[in-house]
Formats: sequence, structure tokens, C-alpha cells
Amino acid sequence: MIQEESLSTQSVATRIEERLKPSAVPWSRLSVLPVVIALLVSLALPWVADLLPFGKFILHLLILFFLWGIVVQGWNLIMGVSGIFSFAQVALFAVGAWTSGVITQQLGWSPFVAMWFGPVAATVVAVILGLPTLRLRGAYVVLLTLGFQELFRNFTTQGPNFVAGGGYGLRYVPKFPFEEWVGGDKAQFLYYYLALVFFVIATFAIWRIFYSPIGMAFRALRDAEVYAISRGVSPFRYKLFLFGFVAFFTGWAGAFYVHWYGAISPAIMLFGTTINLLAMIVLGGWGSFWGPIAGCAVLTVLPEIMRAVEQYRILLLGIVLALVAIFAPEGLFPLLLRWVRRLLGRQTR
Amino acid sequence: MSVIFECERVTKAYGGLLAVKDLSFSVEEGEVYAIAGPNGAGKTTLFDTISGVSPVTNGTIRFYGQEIQRRRADDICRLGIARTFQTTVSFDTQTVLTNVLVGAAMGRPGTGKITLEFDQEAIQTALDVLEFCGLLDKQDWPASSLSVSERKKLMLATALATKPKLLLLDEPVGGLNRQERSDMVEFVRKVNQLGITVLMIEHIMKAVQALANRMLVLHHGEKIAEGVPSDVLRDERVIEVYLGGKHREKLSDNGGR
Amino acid sequence: MEKLMQAIYGGIVYGSIFGMMALGLTLIWGALRMLNLAHGSLYLVGTYIAFTLVNILKVPMVPALLIAALGTAVVGFGIQTLLLNRILGKPGWDVGSLIVGVGVGMAIDQSILLIYGPRVKQMPPLIPGIFKIGRVVINYNYLVVVAVAVISLVLLSVFLSKSRHGLAIQAVSQQPDAAQLMGIPTRTVFLIVMCISAALAGLAGALLSTVYQVQRESGANAMVMALVVTIFGGLGSVKGTIWAAYIVGLLQSFLMVYLGAGTALPGVFLFMMLMLVIRPSGLFGLGEAQRL
Repeated sequence: MIQEESLSTQSVATRIEERLKPSAVPWSRLSVLPVVIALLVSLALPWVADLLPFGKFILHLLILFFLWGIVVQGWNLIMGVSGIFSFAQVALFAVGAWTSGVITQQLGWSPFVAMWFGPVAATVVAVILGLPTLRLRGAYVVLLTLGFQELFRNFTTQGPNFVAGGGYGLRYVPKFPFEEWVGGDKAQFLYYYLALVFFVIATFAIWRIFYSPIGMAFRALRDAEVYAISRGVSPFRYKLFLFGFVAFFTGWAGAFYVHWYGAISPAIMLFGTTINLLAMIVLGGWGSFWGPIAGCAVLTVLPEIMRAVEQYRILLLGIVLALVAIFAPEGLFPLLLRWVRRLLGRQTR
Repeated sequence: MSVIFECERVTKAYGGLLAVKDLSFSVEEGEVYAIAGPNGAGKTTLFDTISGVSPVTNGTIRFYGQEIQRRRADDICRLGIARTFQTTVSFDTQTVLTNVLVGAAMGRPGTGKITLEFDQEAIQTALDVLEFCGLLDKQDWPASSLSVSERKKLMLATALATKPKLLLLDEPVGGLNRQERSDMVEFVRKVNQLGITVLMIEHIMKAVQALANRMLVLHHGEKIAEGVPSDVLRDERVIEVYLGGKHREKLSDNGGR
Repeated sequence: MEKLMQAIYGGIVYGSIFGMMALGLTLIWGALRMLNLAHGSLYLVGTYIAFTLVNILKVPMVPALLIAALGTAVVGFGIQTLLLNRILGKPGWDVGSLIVGVGVGMAIDQSILLIYGPRVKQMPPLIPGIFKIGRVVINYNYLVVVAVAVISLVLLSVFLSKSRHGLAIQAVSQQPDAAQLMGIPTRTVFLIVMCISAALAGLAGALLSTVYQVQRESGANAMVMALVVTIFGGLGSVKGTIWAAYIVGLLQSFLMVYLGAGTALPGVFLFMMLMLVIRPSGLFGLGEAQRL
């Protein structure tokens, strides 16, 4: 066989290096410097924000960005990278929130202990929900997952009182005890740092998956499923892993949310939330790594700035969404990147 | 020569319709074995059942003496059977290299675990295969930007990257022009010379005659003839039942299509 | 006995309404392979056109219904020609069309909110009055709604199975490539399908505005039930969808009458999910061909 010319390991390495084009490979290396800078900036951010007039509000937005950023990145991995149209991500977020919230309320456990049960519950639910989607595709998956979200929303509005709270969902959920630790003023700082830790861990884990053989397998299954299976990709193994992995982080974000706000309403599972997250992915860049994060940043901040013209914002968002799907299907962020690169390229030449 | 692959009384039914009926044949190590038959004869269905894409209704399929008819498709690939498809397919959004890496990292014997790293052996296999197929220069092209014949070759390359013992080719020269056809025939011969056994579906007789050591003709899911191509193509029943009267001259003319 | 009568009566009313909504969805799925998430918004367009005509311009109900259906068809025409046609037949169609639907839906819903405000509005019934069979109250208005729905469903079925355009639609739904090869102008067919589907949604919206209150949420609610029905009937199957509409309608009605109003929606959803798991092709669906 071709591969049977036995080569010593050393010469193998050089043979690989000299033949491989860096632009062809599906993996990626993390450049240390930008990451370190970004981390330092995010560590310093609360202290800087504190000096600004709307410091508290900025911090609040950043925490929201971290939480929805986790959810959106996970959803992008499922929908953009793997092509599975799951519309139940907000429900999984809610499963995480409700599980952790109910545990603290009913069993009196500390939020730090309870918050681990949220992601576990979300993972279990996602894997069960994932099993039938192995046989379904496209529109059918949309309907199955939307159906689940509606059912869970119904359960949290009409279910037993310790879940539904008479239709209001969970209220007076024990928060993380940060205020008792450092006082009301600086408590928001600790929330920020905890959310940052969550976000960094989730982002790194998703980045690792994205540029690994696992990410390659997801993309292969998306592009041509039967073909991928015939090349050794086990759909069962990879899809269930995907559902479980993403649900864990999504549930994590949900658990954090409930112990941050101290409450969660079933209204979060109305279609509007889902559409907002979808818009982050679509505008940012379907299936790309940085796009959805950028989309999340913009669409977390925008509603707050445009609160006065909220109704026009939603109208505009709808129109932009439809136009992007047609004229820039790969998203606005990759498009912008390409323009910037072209501009820079011209300057260097 | 020893038998590498064997179908014994294989039947495949869709509802009440029998796509493959009670079919038995065996392939010997190192040979090129062709399956011919008109459209709807059950050829691609047969490949689907062999490769595990759809389950057999009845019968046994053996590979190196081991029964494989209940295995999953990805498993069968790692055992050493790789197939191509009649319609040209690729992982369109991915680079040529990544296309081949899928096979090399997921489909070789011993792979298949969920890992975070691309191992060196997979990368090397992928590069070797690309070099062998003459696609190394285009490794960073998106697969969708290749020409039809290149995409066909890429599909074959991803199969080779799984280091198969048996290669199932579904109409390797279909959809190609005259020049590309003879290139592909040459290429399949080169693959066969590496020691890879080839089982192929083809109804372009010229290609069959150029490549196959033995062949089988399928009609309505049943075997109607088997043997050396020159004998089979002279078989009255094959000419009458399968190709119909008007093709008679062409066939005896050694032409096919 | 009265409960049973009540349940059956409710089921027939719901079934007729669901049928009109679901048929439009299923037609689009069959022909364009698009899950049109703007369908509920088209329903709203019909509702508000009828509301504007009847309550503000004092147009009589019957022409108002027709104009509502036509007006909604025009909106559908616009969506198809201005937006969807540009990505039709290109890779990424499933994702693209889904998102176009979501975006257009948002834009329509929000425009309606901006124009008409958030207040819930009322429309007069088509024919006022009730009569009783035993103790079951029958509303003349509901009977008219059922009649219009059934007539439009029958007309559409006849159109699909008898007329030249209808046959073309069926051909395109079953074998788009072959249909194109045989010289059927697929783009025109898609346009016709979109217009019919939109008109049905608009007519349903206008009709039901006389039954329910006029409010923004009704579009989404109607679409959700239509989605459930299409799953039961098998996406893309006309006959299946009509049967499924009445089955789901009866199911909802029976749940409401026997187990209470709160159980209807979760019950129906649970049923839909079970259906997806057990028999994803629906009651009458042909199943989806596996793609490579």
C-alpha cells in the first residue's frame, strides 16, 4: 500500500511539514498575546467601568453578554457547525435555571452546590431529546425542539406551585452570597468575575471542539451525512456528545442566571428570546467561531441603547435578518473581516 | 487466491418490493469484480446493504470470513470496506485536505474514538493519499470549487484514506467525458495494483472490460450471469434480457457505450 | 352525551380552522421545501386588513374577506419575488428560507404593532345569533366559519387534483428536478403556491377575527397549531393535512371538554412529539428520501 513505505518518525514529521499548506488545515493555534491581553482587559474592566457614569449598567450588560454568549456559542455549534436545527436551547437554559433554583429553594442548599445540578439536568434532557433527532432532519427537528420548549414553558406556568409559582415562575431564589461577602457595592464585581470564568471556560472548551477532529466530524455530518458515516463518522456518538456537551454549558448559564437575578419567569421561553439568539448567530456569522460572539456583543448592547425606539429596533432587526439571509448568508462579521483585510492588504502593498 | 468478501443469499426488500433477490457471489483478494445491470436492477441498493447504510432483509455478508451484515456503516468502514457514491458527493464547505482527513482520522482501522487531537498518522495518511491522487497542490481549495472529475477523484481519495482492503466503487466513470474516463480507468488500475480489492458497479462496458477480472450481471435484483467479462458479454441471456436487441451490435462490437 | 356533542362540535370548528392554516404551510413545504415561519404573520395580515375594512372603512364583511385574502396573497407575492427567489435553488436554502421567514415575520408583526398599537380589538360576527341542540349552544357565526373553511378546502383540493396548475404543483412537489426537465416552469409554480398559501392564511385570519379577538398573539398561536397539524398529516401531504386538521381539532376539543382548557395545548404538543418520535413521516406522509 501507499502508506507502507516505512519512514522513521523524524522524517515523517518533516515530510508532513513540507507538504502541508497552513491554509488547508482544519485546526488552529491560539496566539498567546491577544488572549493574554483580552484576559487582562476583562479582569480590569469592572474597575474601569466603576469610574464611568453608568458603571453598574455596563457591568450588568457585560454579565448578560457572558451568559448569552455561552448559550449562543453552544447553539452555533449545534446549528451552524453541525446543521441540526435545534430550537430548544432556551428551554435547556431554563432547565438549568429551574433545577438549580428549585434545589436551593426547596432543599435549602447553597447556590454553589445547587448550580452543578442545573447543567447535569440540562445534559440529561438534551441527550433524551437528542435521541429522536438522530432519525429526524431539518424542519422535523425544528418542530420537535420547539414542541419541547412549549411543553416546558407550559410546565413552568401551570405545573406544581414550587415550579410555576402561580404562573410567575421562580421568585425569591437565593442569590450567590456575594453581598454578604463584600457588601452591596462590590457584589456585582464578583458576579462579573464568576460569569467571566464561566464564559472563558465555555469559550475555550468550544474553541477546542471547533478546531478538533470532533468539529471536523460535525461539519462532515452537516455537509453530507451518509457520506460522512461511510467514512467512519459515527452519527450516534458525535451527535449525542454534541447535544450533551452544549447542554451542559447552556444549563450552567441558566443556573448562574437564576442565582444572579434571584428570579426567572416562564416568559423567557417565549419565541422572542429564541429569535434574538438566532439573530446573534445569523448576523454574526453562521458556523464561524468568532462571528456569533461578535453578534452576541452587538445584540446585547443594542437593545439597551435603543430602548427608547425598541419597537423600531425589532422591526429593523427583522428586516436585517431577512436581508442578511439573502445577501450575506455567511453573516456580517466575516464580511466585515474580509473588508478590513482587503483594506489592510491594500495599504501594505 | 483466497476469498476476501462474500454475499450469501442476500435479499433486500422495500415494503413488498424485492430490490435484491437471493443474491450470492464472492470476491477474491486482489481482483477487480464488476457488477453490471440496467437502472433499477438493484446495484446501488446492494452497495447500500454491503456498506451498512441500509440493513439487509435476509442473508449473510462476510468479510474475511466475519459476518458484517448487522454492523453499522461507520464500523464497516473501519473494518476495511470503503465505498464511493453514484452521485458525486463531497464535504463542500471544507478544504480538499479536510475532506481526506475525515477518512484518515475517523475511518482507518483502530480509529473512531472521540479525540481532541489530529494524530500524525492521520495527517500523513491524508497527505500521502492526496499525493497519490494528484490533488496535493489543491489541498487548500474548497471541495466545492473542484471540477466534476476532480470531485470524483476526491471522493475516491477519502475512501483510500480509510486504508481499505476492499473498495466499493459506484459507477466510477459515470458522468465523465472520454478522456477523463480513460484516466479514471488507469487510476482504478493503479489503486488495484496497491493490493486493494475492487468491487465496482459499472454499466459502461468498455470500463468493465478494461478493468474487471470477473463480472456479474444483475436484473431485477437477480443474478443472471457471472464469469469472465468476455464470456458474460457474449451470453445470449445477458444480451436479450438486459441490454435489449438494439444494443446487440454495439456489444459484439466490443464497444459498450 | 352533551359533553360528547360539545366536544365533537368544537372539534369540527377547530379542525376547519386548523385545516386552512395547515394546508398553506404544507403546500409550501411540499413545493419549496421551506418551513415558512412567517405563516402566522400572514394570518395577522389577513386579520388586520379585515379589521381595517370592516371597523374603520365600514366595508361589508363578504367583500372584506375576499380583499383580505387577496391582500395577503399580494404580500406573499412580494416575499417570494423580492426575497425568496434570490436564494431559490442555491445551497443553504433550508437555513436561508427559515431565517427569511423569521425575519419577515418579525417585521410584519412589529409593523402591525406600530400601526395598530397593542390594544386588543373586537370585530362583529358574520351572522349574529345562536341556537341550541339539546343543551349544546351552536353559534351561527361558527357555522359560517366552518362552511367557508370547508368550501375553500374543497375548492383547493379540486384545484390541486384537476386543474393544469394544480397538477403542476403536485408534480413539482413530488419530483422538482424531473418537473423542471419536463418543462414545468418551477418558478411560476412556486409563486402560485406562495400566493395560494398566503391567501389561505389571510382568509383564515380574516374569518377568525370574527371569532377570536383581534390581537397580535393570535398569528403565532394559529401557526403553532398549524405546525402541529402538518406534523400529524405528514409535511407536504395535502390529504393527510386535511385529515390531521380534524383529528387534532377533535383531540384539542376533547381534552378541553373532558380534562379542562389548560390541558389542551400541552396534550396536543405531547402528542405531536410522540408522533415525531414514533412515526416522523406523519399519518399519510411519504417519508423523506435520505440525502447523501
